[in-house]
Amino acid sequence: MPTSNDTFPRLLTEIDDLTRPDHSWLGAADQCLFLGEYTARKGFSFSATNQIILNFKKAADRRGRAEWRYKEQAIAEVGQAFGTALNPAWLGAATLVPMPPSKARTDPLYDDRMVRMLRAIPAVNPLDIRELLIQGQSMAAAHDADVRPTPDTIAAGYSIDEELAAPAPTLIGIFDDVLTTGAHYVAARRVLSRRFPGAKVLGLFIARRAPETSDFSVFFEPPDDE
Amino acid sequence: MTLEMNLASTAATHLGISPQREMGAYEALWDENGASFKTIFEKLTRRPDTVPSDLVEPSRAEQYRLLVSEAMAKAKVSRYGVRVFGAGEYPGKLRDADHPIALLYYRGWWDLVNSRCVAVVGTRSPSTEGQKRARQLVKALVKDDFTIVSGLAKGIDKVAHETAIEEKGRTIAVIGTPISYAYPAENKELQERIARDFLLISQVPVKRWQNQGPKQNRIFFPERNITMSALTEGTIIVEAGETSGTLVQARHALKQGRKLFILDSCFNNPSITWPHRFADEGAIRVREYADIQRHLSPPAH
Repeated sequence: MPTSNDTFPRLLTEIDDLTRPDHSWLGAADQCLFLGEYTARKGFSFSATNQIILNFKKAADRRGRAEWRYKEQAIAEVGQAFGTALNPAWLGAATLVPMPPSKARTDPLYDDRMVRMLRAIPAVNPLDIRELLIQGQSMAAAHDADVRPTPDTIAAGYSIDEELAAPAPTLIGIFDDVLTTGAHYVAARRVLSRRFPGAKVLGLFIARRAPETSDFSVFFEPPDDE
Repeated sequence: MTLEMNLASTAATHLGISPQREMGAYEALWDENGASFKTIFEKLTRRPDTVPSDLVEPSRAEQYRLLVSEAMAKAKVSRYGVRVFGAGEYPGKLRDADHPIALLYYRGWWDLVNSRCVAVVGTRSPSTEGQKRARQLVKALVKDDFTIVSGLAKGIDKVAHETAIEEKGRTIAVIGTPISYAYPAENKELQERIARDFLLISQVPVKRWQNQGPKQNRIFFPERNITMSALTEGTIIVEAGETSGTLVQARHALKQGRKLFILDSCFNNPSITWPHRFADEGAIRVREYADIQRHLSPPAH
């Protein structure tokens, strides 16, 4: 139960030796940062981070309902939070790339929350926001799949939007909501590094998924999304 | 002349904080002369958004990080985490302490911190009756879905943790030694069990603790009681003598705006005066379990 002074973190935290084992696909060379820790299956009231994540990820079929405004609020809040946490020099130099939504643009459940969040980051000069990664066809959300996809299978579904490729980025921040195993990040990093070999790539997440209390279902049941 | 004036802030040199870098910096701060929870808190709050690594040379923080990693490896502690004041998911409720701790170590399942927590504490040498009361109390609290928090000392603490586990409840131990060390030794197995299946928390700096003797390290026991109180909705004292360390927790519980419960049997003991003293200051005298229930938060749906 969050207390009155339980707030969404203001600083980014790096994945380091203490937390990397929770994200099995990440290696020591992967530079990933996150704001909060999301605790799956605990609901909105569990923590400020849970509330932000669950509102942010509200499914696109809720559009038009009264609750939709909480999603819009969460998108604005996360944009503000990244704006505060990331230093202006980095923001000015980086190309901000949203992780592609699992649904293709033509899918009714297509959700562009990530790119809208990036546009909500306050900045003096326009930011270089580019949807460089394209998801070829709608993927089943990770939890619907029989076998959890590996970075290789995920990468096979990604392509680069060549219309946005110039000028070649030198510093890329891949933005996603929740870091779970890291498979999607590693896939995206590979595809971008292959196309832009000189660019430094890092991952920025609203939250990382926290390990849960003796909850062995985590071994059988993939997390709710990635 | 202050060192921190010469260091660039975390925001300027790194995109984010690194828990292990903060851990090294915390240990380095503790290895300075006159360091205490109070002095470190004061340094951290002199300027907004300061984290331990803003106050320590990076090479020094790295040196201490390595020392702690080695100590943990030697103690066969393979997985542990830290929480950092001002960053990550530092528990907001710890800010109610006099001098909120700059960093804490944990092993186990952090999400227990956000459950409904109540502390059950008392003397290291309880009467048979006292042990029985502790067991009954914990059974009732577990049934009401509370997480039982205690200090893993001998006596009442041990009974509280063990009963919570036997009753298939949840428990958190806030200990006065580093997470890599068990005191008393007889509780080692219980400590490992809690670290594996529940949550073990310590604010004790590993290097400082290793470098000084048991006499100097005694200070960490009452300090952890302050943290234990802050983490919980309330503290229940089962049985305690006039000079018990438990009374530190009683005092801080009231100061932090937490509920303080004292079992009726304590009031009936003519050789102690503390129950009446705390009752005058707002502690709740517990004649039946319902006296506790009505002062704590209702269960979640």
